[in-house]
Amino acid sequence: MDVISTAGLSKFYGKARGIEDLSMCVPSGAVYGFLGPNGAGKTTTIRCLLGMLKPTAGEAMVLGEPVTLDGSALRHRIGYVAGEVRLFERETGRWHLDLVAGLRGSRGPLEAELLERFDFDPGRKVRELSKGNKQKLALILGMAHDPELLILDEPTSGLDPLNQESVYEVIEERVAAGRTVFLSSHVLSEVERVCDRIGIIRSGHLVAEEDVRSLLAKRLRHLQVTLAGDADESLLTGLAGVDSVARVGASGLTARVKGDAVDSVVKRLATTEVADLRITQASLEDVFLEFYRDAEGGEA
Amino acid sequence: MSWTLLRATLRARRTSIMWYSVSLVAYSWLMTWFYPQIGGGQYAELIDNMPPEMLALFGGTEVDFATLGGYFQTEYLGLMWMLIVASAVIIFASKAFAGGIADGTMEFTLAQPVSRVRLAVTRVVALVGYIVLLAAASFAPIAIFGPTYDIELSAQTFWTLSAFGVLFMLAVGGIAMLLSAMFRDGGRAGGIAAGVMGVLWVADLVSNVSEAAEVLDPVNLVTYWQPGKIINGDAVAPEAWWIYGIVGAASLVAAVLVFRRRDVA
Repeated sequence: MDVISTAGLSKFYGKARGIEDLSMCVPSGAVYGFLGPNGAGKTTTIRCLLGMLKPTAGEAMVLGEPVTLDGSALRHRIGYVAGEVRLFERETGRWHLDLVAGLRGSRGPLEAELLERFDFDPGRKVRELSKGNKQKLALILGMAHDPELLILDEPTSGLDPLNQESVYEVIEERVAAGRTVFLSSHVLSEVERVCDRIGIIRSGHLVAEEDVRSLLAKRLRHLQVTLAGDADESLLTGLAGVDSVARVGASGLTARVKGDAVDSVVKRLATTEVADLRITQASLEDVFLEFYRDAEGGEA
Repeated sequence: MSWTLLRATLRARRTSIMWYSVSLVAYSWLMTWFYPQIGGGQYAELIDNMPPEMLALFGGTEVDFATLGGYFQTEYLGLMWMLIVASAVIIFASKAFAGGIADGTMEFTLAQPVSRVRLAVTRVVALVGYIVLLAAASFAPIAIFGPTYDIELSAQTFWTLSAFGVLFMLAVGGIAMLLSAMFRDGGRAGGIAAGVMGVLWVADLVSNVSEAAEVLDPVNLVTYWQPGKIINGDAVAPEAWWIYGIVGAASLVAAVLVFRRRDVA
């Protein structure tokens, strides 16, 4: 069963396009990564799924129910953490937890556990909190009631690595417990870490849906190798998935390597004596550019 | 209606609620105390020496100025009370929806299982409660402290004055709340509502000194606000109750309906 499905979902702000003709499916029990650059339409999509924005066209189904502007029963089953955390600045974390408990009819079963895991002091006022602590509070408020569907918009923004790891662990535990997660993110390592499937959005259009493995195969790496002897481009030229081979100095080579070509590159390098080897992941932007080049037949 | 949201709404405005209420109690007590200080005869003489245009500025000419009602209308309730309470109500109502959308708290609230209608009705109830509180803070001190200063306000006068004041401000607040449901920015909604009230006040002012402007009176909320007549025991014109009631109810219902259908982020 699909927990989220959209068909031709479009949202225009006057003449400005938010999203257009977006059709996607998020299966139950999955962690779906929603990737795209700033302004691509990720937040607009999420707000349409939550019934905060009225779609210009198309429809969305969440947890088997059509999304409506007044769908309070549906939101009972959803936890949402906004990308830009904006809470009641004059109130404390505890006040927010009480407010959510009041509106949901009971205190979240995971509240105490999450407070402890994130090491969050709920007694402080929101305006006194750092960006990271506000993000922690938003995460606790969104996840405490153990929702069937978690919608997270850039959930680890502002968090230190330790707390980022805690978020990933909570996501994995929730998924293991049968929940579904819809995760909007810029961060490829985050997506790799927790997602099963990925949707890529650009300029309001969903340009691709991929399994994580498939996206990794498209991922670029930058190779820098220093040989013990003189270098020759022919060592790597012609290998499938390798391009932009160039010599650097007498013994250095650089190249771009697609994810599924790493194995053949390493095996080719093993035929000669290597003094130093460095493989770095391309930035997400490079992955996008490469991906869009593929998707649009050569135009990035 | 959600009690949780109602508490949260009133708590978010606790500072302004407290200051406006305390200020109105103090102001009402001061004006009650002041009445015997200037003496009825001296006050009547003072009023007689004023040009009608000046008197019009303080709240219309429908009441005999040399009376208790005339005193309260010209010195307090006709203009100053209207300015103070209308500003409080417009600020409160204009933030009801647009304020939350602008500061992002509406997104947080509507991510919870609360329907838009429920939220909007709660905001309306909060506005009604706030106006009732402001009316009580305005009129109760006159009734309570009045006997000490030889001012007798009958129970019927007190309740009529309170109900009429509440209804007047509900009409004002309803317009502000409707604008709040239409715009993304509470400041803009409040500014337009204040502008509407300003235009109505000027229209009333002009109509008091020029017959040509009286054509606006039947639809002018400010024109119907004659608290001095109520204090003097005169009956309020039925159309005044109707105008306030219809404008208030229609604008508040419209605010709920508009908010129900709009984008909130």
